[in-house]
Amino acid sequence: MTVAEVVERLELEALAAGELKATVAGGYCSDLLSDVLAHAQSGDMWITHQRHMNVVAVAKLKEVAAVILVRGAAPSAEMTGRARSEGVTILRSSASAFQVAGRLYQLLEG
Amino acid sequence: MKRLRADLHIHTVLSACAGLSMSPRRVVDEARRAGLALIAVADHNAAANGPYVREIARGEPRVLLGMELQSQEEVEILALFEDADSCLTLEAEVYRDLPDVNCDPELFGDQVVVDEQDNIVRRVEKLLLSPVPWPLARLVKRVEDLHGWTLPAHVDRVPGGLLAVLGLLPEGTWPEAAELSPWVRQAEAVSRWPELAKLPLLRSSDAHFPHEIGRSWSELTVAEPSLAELRAAAEGRGGRRLRAGPHCKEGR
Repeated sequence: MTVAEVVERLELEALAAGELKATVAGGYCSDLLSDVLAHAQSGDMWITHQRHMNVVAVAKLKEVAAVILVRGAAPSAEMTGRARSEGVTILRSSASAFQVAGRLYQLLEG
Repeated sequence: MKRLRADLHIHTVLSACAGLSMSPRRVVDEARRAGLALIAVADHNAAANGPYVREIARGEPRVLLGMELQSQEEVEILALFEDADSCLTLEAEVYRDLPDVNCDPELFGDQVVVDEQDNIVRRVEKLLLSPVPWPLARLVKRVEDLHGWTLPAHVDRVPGGLLAVLGLLPEGTWPEAAELSPWVRQAEAVSRWPELAKLPLLRSSDAHFPHEIGRSWSELTVAEPSLAELRAAAEGRGGRRLRAGPHCKEGR
């Protein structure tokens, strides 16, 4: 499944669109960036509340397929601007982390 | 130039998680016992007990006003001030914006302002353990605008440590220094987070109970115990030095 398909199925909003044809391999849900650095896998959809600038750097380092901000979190223009220039995809859902993770799990593993 | 000990992260009874015995008077007594020349009072998102500590201490030890602020990202930073009014201005701004969640003393403990005579002046209603809904960069900038100094508290620790929460140091010139948690060996912290090798490191007690004051400390080589000298020591100006003391071996 591609990022674009997940965007459509989970009704996500694309705040910064990188490679939407990338394959989604799995998911990781964490607000601790040190934990994401240690445990997220390349190709994961990273579900988080964090919207600090370092999210872009960590997403890029870990080569996640996309970041999904939950509960309608509003990132700064600086963060989305940086994501665009780094080719990092930032998506947003108005749903909670629990709901987004549950629906993504169903899509990928169900 | 003098070599002296500083403990720049001490809680009082205004922090719900600190002991009721942490009155301003007791903090001063214990700081003297521990041979500290400079301390900072740093309650969670609050500062109101600092002026009483300073009043009681009368320069022995010198007292910086401070707060342990928690940002929207749930990063904890120390904000240190020489000027009490600046610190109390920030305290009021932060309190106004804290979520409307009250502190239930049964669950969290008491949050009380206590004067120099050990009298309770007032209880603080809102839960001070909630994060301030300001991005980290906004908190840092506001402290700087008020002529205070900020550094990440227990930078290595989960929860609240900058590196644990944000994974990497943010871009830019902040922070100018970082505080290690009491128990981590400096070599261990630097090996886990190599970017710490670039920063002057402090260590403090993060005391919540009287006997914890001074259990770990920073060593300063400065002309006098003050915030300006501390900052000069962090920059290594004019032979001034700042060094984290040894890690604490007990009481984790």
